[in-house]
Amino acid sequence: MIVKRRGKLEIIADILRSIRNKEGKIKPTHLLYKSNLSHAKLKEYVNTLLEKGMIEEKEVKGKKMFFMKDRGHKFLLEFERIKEFSDSFGL
Amino acid sequence: MLFESVPYGLPSYVFSPKWFYGFDSIIELIAIIVSVLLVYYSYKCFKLTKENKYQYFSTAFLSLTLAFIAKIIGTLAIYKPTITRSALGSSIHQTFTSLTPYNINALAFIVYIFFMLLGFMILFLIISRLRWKNQRVIALLLYFVFLATWIGVIHYQLFYLTSFVLLLLITYSYYQNYKEIKSENARFVVIAFGILLVSQAFFVFVIYSRIIYVLAELIQLLGFVYLLIPFILIFKKKPR
Repeated sequence: MIVKRRGKLEIIADILRSIRNKEGKIKPTHLLYKSNLSHAKLKEYVNTLLEKGMIEEKEVKGKKMFFMKDRGHKFLLEFERIKEFSDSFGL
Repeated sequence: MLFESVPYGLPSYVFSPKWFYGFDSIIELIAIIVSVLLVYYSYKCFKLTKENKYQYFSTAFLSLTLAFIAKIIGTLAIYKPTITRSALGSSIHQTFTSLTPYNINALAFIVYIFFMLLGFMILFLIISRLRWKNQRVIALLLYFVFLATWIGVIHYQLFYLTSFVLLLLITYSYYQNYKEIKSENARFVVIAFGILLVSQAFFVFVIYSRIIYVLAELIQLLGFVYLLIPFILIFKKKPR
């Protein structure tokens, strides 16, 4: 079976989806496991998401957690719309 | 049926019965609105993702939009000759002295045929997953569009037959896509193109009865309405 490589936007959407599926907050270790990326690559993507204001980093009971922000929700919705449009029209 | 030869051997075509004059233009206007929405959204997708497939899809529907605009201009020139006698019309007339409503109709019909076939051809290329790097194949298909336009101007039935064949291939590809995706929206897209296919079949036989033209136009309207449904459903999607 040929596995198609994920594009940059798809990886970002996968990261955001992982956070959303965990009710909007996730531990870095869980995110690493869910995103299927190397530690270095995940760090790169997380930094981009933090810069773009899609997620935020907070400490909860002394542990680092990532929280989804409104911009992240909006991006994910738009991404899913584009995906649906693309699939429906065979693009 | 009005069928009149004009200079340069270009025939002008009006298939509509008199009582339907203008209604077909409204149907074409609805098709334009649906096409423009698809052009706008797919171009927006291209801007966001930088993926060329969205740009090609946008170009295909832009081509269909131009085709329908040309058809409206061509038919209105006959339906409402007063437009050509208006201030703008007379200035155009002075510039191109031989431009009668029939000339406008004939020229618009060529533009209509060309952009319609080009739009369907691009759609066919997208859905067939043909690689755009394969420029020789694309050049050949473009030549085919020019050829079909040329012959289609003289034998309009051949134009409708060509668009029927293209739509048949597009509909089949969309059916394959639906079988793979199995989404409700993909089903609406198959139905939409299936209906447009039927409308083209009716257009082929339009010379035999004016009522066939009315039916073809109404079926075409239904096709574009169905094309709008998946678009609306995608936008109704609420954040989870």
